[in-house]
Amino acid sequence: MSPSEGPLKLTDSELLQRTAGGDREAFSRFAERHQAAVYRHACYLAERREDAEDLLQETFLAALRAAGQFRGDASARTWLFTIARNAWLRRARPQAAAGGEEMDLESLAASAGWGSQNPESLAMLAQDRQRLERALARLGEGEREVIILRDLEGLSGEETAAVLGISLAAMKSRLHRGRIELAARLRGGAVSGVRT
Amino acid sequence: MKERFNRMVGGLTCFEVLSVLSDYLDDELPQEIRGRVEAHLAGCDNCAQFGMEMAGMLAQLRPDVAPAPAEVAARLQRRIEAWWAS
Repeated sequence: MSPSEGPLKLTDSELLQRTAGGDREAFSRFAERHQAAVYRHACYLAERREDAEDLLQETFLAALRAAGQFRGDASARTWLFTIARNAWLRRARPQAAAGGEEMDLESLAASAGWGSQNPESLAMLAQDRQRLERALARLGEGEREVIILRDLEGLSGEETAAVLGISLAAMKSRLHRGRIELAARLRGGAVSGVRT
Repeated sequence: MKERFNRMVGGLTCFEVLSVLSDYLDDELPQEIRGRVEAHLAGCDNCAQFGMEMAGMLAQLRPDVAPAPAEVAARLQRRIEAWWAS
């Protein structure tokens, strides 16, 4: 088989193995397969579209250089998201420290609508993508990341923990709090103790 | 405020249900605990409504899977080609 023959049928691991062997077409197919997901993820990480595009290119060039190191232990998407996140952390500004005390879970849930009579539907609020993006932007960085990976990108819990470099238990804890905080933000409720 | 979450229904308080709500919605609870959560939800309007609201929100979070804009994809391919040529 020639280097580029039938690359659309190949697995990600096979495409990357071929890339490491110098097959340009294989990496083009690999990029085409994943560029939409990586670009969307980059748009979540970076506020400006031009930064997201830079991050997209940086991610794939890093993947190209490291193609021979991909072992297939994680999915290619998890691998690419990890590369993108590390690239973003290297360039992102230092994180501001959280201000104030962290709101307890009960208060957060009350802000999110627990116990309210006939609250506005969270599903309807989340359908408004601009409102959703504003709410996401107001979450703490840790909560925002975990919700983007787990709930918006649909990674498994194990994949999300792997990208973030934390334990599954820590990921779950952060995800749970983040989801309730997101609901509170969607409702426009007061949420103290998180970055704004 | 916190006292409202101490209500015991089905062997769990509202706070205990709130604490495992994400795992419940992700279907990641052991069967025995799941059964107790469901017993609580069956008898607690506040938690049942909140659980449905959260499930509705999560169902809306997955974005439409749109391709990357054509010009973005084209610029990426040019960067990749340039790397090979370098």
